[in-house]
Amino acid sequence: MAGLFDYTPAVVLLPFLSFLIAVGVAISGRDLLPKGGAVPGIAATAGSFLLSVALAVAVAGGEVYNETVYAWAGGAVPGTEGLELTFGVLIDPLSALMLVIVTLVALLVHVFSLGYMNDEGETGLPRYYAGLGLFTASMLGFVVADNLLMAFVFFELVGLCSYLLIGFHFREPGPPSAAKKAFLVTRFGDYFFLVGVVAVLATFGTGQFAGPESFPVFAEEALHGEHAVNTFLGLGEETWFTVVGLLVLGGVIGKSAQFPLQTWLPDAMEGPTPVSALIHAATMVAAGVYLVARMYGFYAVSPTALGVIALVGGFTALFAGTMGIVKRELKQVLAYSTISQYGYMMLALGAGGYVAATFHLLTHAFFKALLFLGAGSVIIAMHHNENMWDMGGLKGRMPVTYYSFLAGSLALAGIFPFAGFWSKDEILYETLVHGLGGQPLLLVGYVFGLLAVPVTAFYTFRMVFLTFHGDARTEQASSPEPVGWNVKGPLAVLGVLAAGAGVVNLAPVRVLTGAHVDFLHGWLDAGFAELTVHHYEEIDPYSSAYIGGEATTVLVGAAVSLGLALLGLALAYKLYAVPTPTEHTAKLGSVRDLLYDNYYQDEYQVFLARRVVLPLARAADTFDRSVVDGAVDATSSVSLFSGSRIRRIQTGVVSNYAALLTLGLTVLLVLFGVLGGWLL
Amino acid sequence: MAAPLQAEAPTWTALAPALALVVTGLVLIVVDSIDPDDGSPALLAGVGTAGALASLGLAGWLLAGGTGQPDTGGAIALYGDALVVDGMTLFFQALFASVTALVVVASYDYLYDREYQAEFYSLVLFAATGMALMAAANSLSVAFVSLELASLPSYALVSYLKRDTGSVEAGLKYFLVGALSSAVFAFGISLVYAATGSLLLADVYETLAGGANGLTGVAGVGIVMVAGGFAFKTASVPFHFWAPEAYEGAPAPVSAFLSSASKAAGFALAFRVFVTGFPLGAGIDWVLLFQVLAVVTMTLGNFAAATQEEVKRMLAYSSIGHAGYALIGLAAFTTADGGNVLGASMAHLMVYGFMNTGAFLFVALAERWGIGRTFEDYAGLADRAPLACVAMTVFMFSLAGLPPFGGFFSKYFLFAGAVEAGFWWLAAVGAVNSALSLFYYSRVVKALWLEDATAEFELGPTPTALYAAVVFAAVATVLLLPGFGAVIETAQAAATAVLP
Repeated sequence: MAGLFDYTPAVVLLPFLSFLIAVGVAISGRDLLPKGGAVPGIAATAGSFLLSVALAVAVAGGEVYNETVYAWAGGAVPGTEGLELTFGVLIDPLSALMLVIVTLVALLVHVFSLGYMNDEGETGLPRYYAGLGLFTASMLGFVVADNLLMAFVFFELVGLCSYLLIGFHFREPGPPSAAKKAFLVTRFGDYFFLVGVVAVLATFGTGQFAGPESFPVFAEEALHGEHAVNTFLGLGEETWFTVVGLLVLGGVIGKSAQFPLQTWLPDAMEGPTPVSALIHAATMVAAGVYLVARMYGFYAVSPTALGVIALVGGFTALFAGTMGIVKRELKQVLAYSTISQYGYMMLALGAGGYVAATFHLLTHAFFKALLFLGAGSVIIAMHHNENMWDMGGLKGRMPVTYYSFLAGSLALAGIFPFAGFWSKDEILYETLVHGLGGQPLLLVGYVFGLLAVPVTAFYTFRMVFLTFHGDARTEQASSPEPVGWNVKGPLAVLGVLAAGAGVVNLAPVRVLTGAHVDFLHGWLDAGFAELTVHHYEEIDPYSSAYIGGEATTVLVGAAVSLGLALLGLALAYKLYAVPTPTEHTAKLGSVRDLLYDNYYQDEYQVFLARRVVLPLARAADTFDRSVVDGAVDATSSVSLFSGSRIRRIQTGVVSNYAALLTLGLTVLLVLFGVLGGWLL
Repeated sequence: MAAPLQAEAPTWTALAPALALVVTGLVLIVVDSIDPDDGSPALLAGVGTAGALASLGLAGWLLAGGTGQPDTGGAIALYGDALVVDGMTLFFQALFASVTALVVVASYDYLYDREYQAEFYSLVLFAATGMALMAAANSLSVAFVSLELASLPSYALVSYLKRDTGSVEAGLKYFLVGALSSAVFAFGISLVYAATGSLLLADVYETLAGGANGLTGVAGVGIVMVAGGFAFKTASVPFHFWAPEAYEGAPAPVSAFLSSASKAAGFALAFRVFVTGFPLGAGIDWVLLFQVLAVVTMTLGNFAAATQEEVKRMLAYSSIGHAGYALIGLAAFTTADGGNVLGASMAHLMVYGFMNTGAFLFVALAERWGIGRTFEDYAGLADRAPLACVAMTVFMFSLAGLPPFGGFFSKYFLFAGAVEAGFWWLAAVGAVNSALSLFYYSRVVKALWLEDATAEFELGPTPTALYAAVVFAAVATVLLLPGFGAVIETAQAAATAVLP
């Protein structure tokens, strides 16, 4: 397949082209395209998908690709090596896998949008498809990025697109506000990311992810004393790397909606449902976790950064899960489940489970896209009423939606043998064995993760039972609007994947039987030597220990998590799988309000903004107006005053000029005579 | 490859640019004696323009052919080493010829219906001849004579408007200050001669480097006084007093000529005399002398310009400020740095030649139209003369050193050169002054475009030639941004070749 990799930029450019087409149509103001611009978008993402699959096949054949496409700035600081800022493409197993996930989900979302947007008679469709195209292109650009600065650029574009799409219905009050919130909260994290990018460039002189000249390799060599790097603030190398890693992590926490920057994500449900699917499954939120995986070699050399990642992830997994159990609206429950699931991925990354995290990223992409599209289908059927308490009994009336949604829910809840079970189990297993290997911090994370399992199962099946089971609680629920093929098709595809995607990495089976069925592990262990799993395992600070042998640990771990999941499911069944369920929230007592109000996190963040940031901003403004402007004004008044004085020297009387001229010459003669040593 | 024609010709032909100017001046007198009533002003202006363009063409041709440059055998010395033709000579001669051409073209409209036009043009060309010789001077006596040859026609040109008291007064003041300065200059030369026994720059250099026969003090006083003579020609403090008055009172094309070409000529002479005649560290630290002059000159020029009410007088002070910038060429001169900063200064003078001439010619346009002299009088002019106002905006922003105009790069290279030579503080003072200069330059732009006219303009017919000169200067100012690479390379190569 010589030359295939040369077409890699096309993966990114095809959706960008569809964006341009849609923008052109939107500007022309005429209805030039059938389906409001969906067709170019579908064609483009389908093309990208096929190309991504071809790339993945090539990567499976052992080929990898790491090339600079365009150097857009170069320069040299005196006394250092030159620094070049470039755009480039890095195709290795991780990015090839991610390309397939992103393009597949994007394709299905485009198709689904036909049913959700076009058939519902939405206006402004070219704008919508332009947004989707740019969103997909940005994410793909981010995935193939070969250096940190390029990743940052596309990371920001992803953020911009989420702003545009969340606020798609900009005439209503909610969406613009939610869009602004998403933009500002993620931007807060990105601020640290940008500082981190600059720090990486300043420290290593390169932002490359792969190759012998890449910054993770330099970091590793620097710790072994084989490579000199610049550190700042008088910190040692390891401490400084931790600081840089945590700065970059700021962007990750914002984008992947980790505690404490997760508040934007539930509000982002104001966007159209297909957009939510795209944001949650494959693009924006996934970007954060993908970034950590992309530069995992850099984090692996910093135990502190790994510990922070693991704790933040574990805590977020549990914390967000508890908020999901009282929500009334379908998409809200899914929103909190997304935060919680990405918490699991972060936990895995922090615990040295690189494969587990990638695995969960993969399975989650499928089942979460499925759940959102299923929710979208329900929302179509319910005429855009999202309140689960107005639903009920939809099971018999929309079977395709129900069974696919059920498959997604079983995967999310982690029930054997659905995809989510395998990936979540591997995360917990990795955390456990590394925690037992002398990392008590990871054991704390493990407990968080384990506690989140029944919570997840509970809120998931509460959602399923309230939506699909029991009696129809409203008229609309008893005669839902039928949905078309363009809704059912994507659901069916994703349903199969949600049920079966676990087979790509049956790690427990391998442990028990010795059969090489952990394909994903093998997949991620190929390619660039410094980006492989076994390299990461060599450099990360973890060792493993087991409870009575590896097989026993696997079985015990799986049994415990499955048992807890079933427990949560059973509780949900008991409470809500009845013909006329009630809320049961009164039993929670005072905790109920705490959960409804999301632990008052919006409140404290607004408090911080109003009571801390705003006064600071006012003080800065006052400083700017009085001191800075005052200094500037003073400078100009002094200038003008002295100007007017100087003007008076020019008297207009020529004898004065002659006198001043002679005087000036005399001063110069005396001055230089003394300096030159020939006078006096 | 056969040697280019430029290298084959007799050596005296290297003076062709200067000869073209002097011949044109004489031809103008002949034309005038045939037709003493200035019956055909177009012919006079045409002859003048043709002569200036011929000089420009010859200078450019010789420069391109490598005459007097290292790759064709180095500088050509003529008449017992009294004159020298090298890259720097030709570079400056091209600059003088360009400005002369612009001024002569513009004068065609400015002198409409005035007497003594032939005399005006021939005086301009004789002054230009003097400048061309200043660029070629290789001995102190030639330096003095050529400086006077440039100055004496200038005095007459400033007071050309005989019935205008402002013009006559300005001419008289210019002459008196000039006479004093010339006396200082001549005295300085005599002291240098007394100390070294020679007027040839190369001999002076050797003697001074060898200890000046024990007469270091005499030589030092002489050098400071010689610097004074150049300070007069370049309108540097404290010999600048004539400049605001002369520029304001003189006909605007003459102001343009004096503030661009005449100033550049002073620098051409100063560069050569100091770099090739006075070794560093022999008796006097003349780099320090020029640092003092540069800082004081640019600061005084810019500060005074900021408070002016009249555009022409503001330009006069701004021209003093620019003399301060150009002085950086000498003020940041080090043997180690070579010709870099000197070349940057030459390149700045080249760009300055176009943008400053253009700005004064715009004032000439305003005078021709009979609108007032103050900023308020210019208000709202853009509605009536948009093209000229675009040109003026280009000049103003380019003088302030903003991209995308030629003045940006020239100033940038000048300051960067100073920083590289180790005189960052000099560049810092220059940058602060540039920031201040933006204030008064933008006042013009604001008046032209943003403010409403205070009275109706009665502009009358469009003076085509003047308009064309203004627009051409603007186009050149813009084109010197992309073309700046060639200018700076030529200038720095020429400056490096001059180093002893």
